[in-house]
Amino acid sequence: MTEKEKRILKRRLKFLLIHVAIVVAAAVCVYPLLRIFSVSLRPGDKLFSTDLSIIPPNATFKAYSDLLKHTLFLRWMWNSLVITLATSVIGVSLASTAAYAFSRFRFPGKKAGLILLLSSQMIPAGMLILPLFLMIMKLRLMNTYLGMIIAYSVSSLPFSIWILKGYYDTIPRSLEEAALVDGTSQVGAFWRIILPLSTPALSIAFLFNFTTAWNEYLVARVVLFSSQQYTWTLGLFELQGQYITQWGMFAAGSMLVTIPVLAVFLYSSKWLISGLTLGSVKG
Amino acid sequence: MDILRSVYQVAGFIVLISLGVAVLEGYFYYHFKYYARSWFFPAALTVFPLLALAGYYGVTWEHPLRVWAYFVAAEALVCAAFRNIVKGRNTLPYLLLAPAFVGLALLLVYPFMFEVYLSFHDLKLTTIMMWKNTGHIPFVGLRQYWNVFTTSPLSEVSFWALVGRTLVWTFSNVFFHVLGGFALALLLNNSIRFKGVYRTLLVIPWAMPQVVAVLAMRGEFHATNGFVNIVLGRIAAAFPFLAHLGVGPVQWLSDYPLLTCTIINVWLGIPFMMVVILGGLQSISSSYYDAADIDGASYFQKLRYITVPLIRPVLMPALTLGTVWTFNNINVIYLVTGQAGGTEQADILVSALYKAAFTYNRYSYSAAFAIVVFAMLFFISVFYLHGFDAAKDER
Repeated sequence: MTEKEKRILKRRLKFLLIHVAIVVAAAVCVYPLLRIFSVSLRPGDKLFSTDLSIIPPNATFKAYSDLLKHTLFLRWMWNSLVITLATSVIGVSLASTAAYAFSRFRFPGKKAGLILLLSSQMIPAGMLILPLFLMIMKLRLMNTYLGMIIAYSVSSLPFSIWILKGYYDTIPRSLEEAALVDGTSQVGAFWRIILPLSTPALSIAFLFNFTTAWNEYLVARVVLFSSQQYTWTLGLFELQGQYITQWGMFAAGSMLVTIPVLAVFLYSSKWLISGLTLGSVKG
Repeated sequence: MDILRSVYQVAGFIVLISLGVAVLEGYFYYHFKYYARSWFFPAALTVFPLLALAGYYGVTWEHPLRVWAYFVAAEALVCAAFRNIVKGRNTLPYLLLAPAFVGLALLLVYPFMFEVYLSFHDLKLTTIMMWKNTGHIPFVGLRQYWNVFTTSPLSEVSFWALVGRTLVWTFSNVFFHVLGGFALALLLNNSIRFKGVYRTLLVIPWAMPQVVAVLAMRGEFHATNGFVNIVLGRIAAAFPFLAHLGVGPVQWLSDYPLLTCTIINVWLGIPFMMVVILGGLQSISSSYYDAADIDGASYFQKLRYITVPLIRPVLMPALTLGTVWTFNNINVIYLVTGQAGGTEQADILVSALYKAAFTYNRYSYSAAFAIVVFAMLFFISVFYLHGFDAAKDER
């Protein structure tokens, strides 16, 4: 074997090893999802088998139909959807104007405001749940959509403002100046030029608001107490809870919830990641 | 029918919020326009507090004089601020900021202050009805803070044990996140085939809804039906000498709950770090590596002297975020151990905080506890941000 062949062989071996390592890691990442899928297809009497194949013998969709027929799963999905959409719309619209003020103007209190936004991220999870819970109780909004929307609406606001400010900063000022010369007001320039140009950042912020509220569990646990009003997170936890017999339905519900989220996330992951680094590096 | 009603309800609520924003903007707009006129101060002091009182009445059906006095005082403060500080300048930015910051003030700053207030009082299951009816809670001074350090937030584990456990939890998680993320990013940063496919598969734990991911992983650690024990059992059956060495099914959830939570959280957190580090790696110009190759540098020398220093600016913010997130991570621990009869063996500070408030209903105690945890988290973050600034200066 010549020197050159040796080098090529070494290179091939290196790439083979890289592929093997990544495939093992990817298997670890994906396998739990496949296991849920497999459990969801199992017939009712084989739920606790120690079988490890992905498509079980006698696979059926019975768990799915049971889930839709015998539980309030669709209702839970609907509750989550309503709460989440309302929260995201409110959150993104408030953030979009506030971020514009931070990006384009100098005014007293600007730095203090930005520091407030940053330090709000250091508030421990669970710290604000208690006062919010007491407030919602006092407003008589327990177990309602409105209580949930109020509790969620500002939770992603600081992060959204941060992302949007970072994006506005990259839009050249000359665009607005041209519009101002042509006779629009500053608000008009924001509405007609900046907002349309920031569609990618706005969708990131929307997505972020959406996923945060969609996956939220702890506030919902405290505010909602009748299964009619549950969000899907509470519903699934209940299914998987003490009654281990509902394992199949839990798996089916998990699949139904995960697939759309996964699709949206993977589709938008490129923007999401650029938004994340934009927000943090600009810090 | 129910569904239609919920849609109307939420749509109505959004209209209400928009109206609220309009009122708010009008309120500030008139302050900006007329703050200097002599008639404005008395007019504002009569009109706005009355309007606010009407709103308060509409929401709570109470109309105490005390609240009206608060509103008047607040309005006087706003007017004074406009006269002496704002002076009608910067109208547009303040109007743009107003809705977001009023929202934050009502739902973030006010609850925070309320938490501080609660921590000096005694609100618990036995006093909550009194508070609901009369608005009064007994004042206890610093006793709640004393209790935080001397009694158990739950039923057995002590505060100091929780602190230690939280530090171990945070450190080990972040360490493995960075280690795993770095390793995977280095592997992915080669020019290999199927890179896009691999990347997609590797971010799945991050992309899955956390509740589903954690509950599913918890199922995999189940004593008899979980994947981990099935595999361990088969290994032990296939190689008896390993079974003699102690390899075999383990009661993960009851014997090693914290270890189980850590494994689950490491699995969840690696993709985020991988993506961030990969972004950093891709921004490093290959000319550095070419120069190092000419000088005959080894792989590990290149890693040590080129890669690590150059991804530091990307890594530091991610590390800060990752530390705060891990420190704050209730989800994993609560979902794995939080059910009735759940163990306290895995609780960290924030999950104990949540349980103290909502499982044991010790509201004031948990408020004081929360303030202590906030102070700790604040110092950790300042420490990190300081390190971040230092890294910036080095460049």
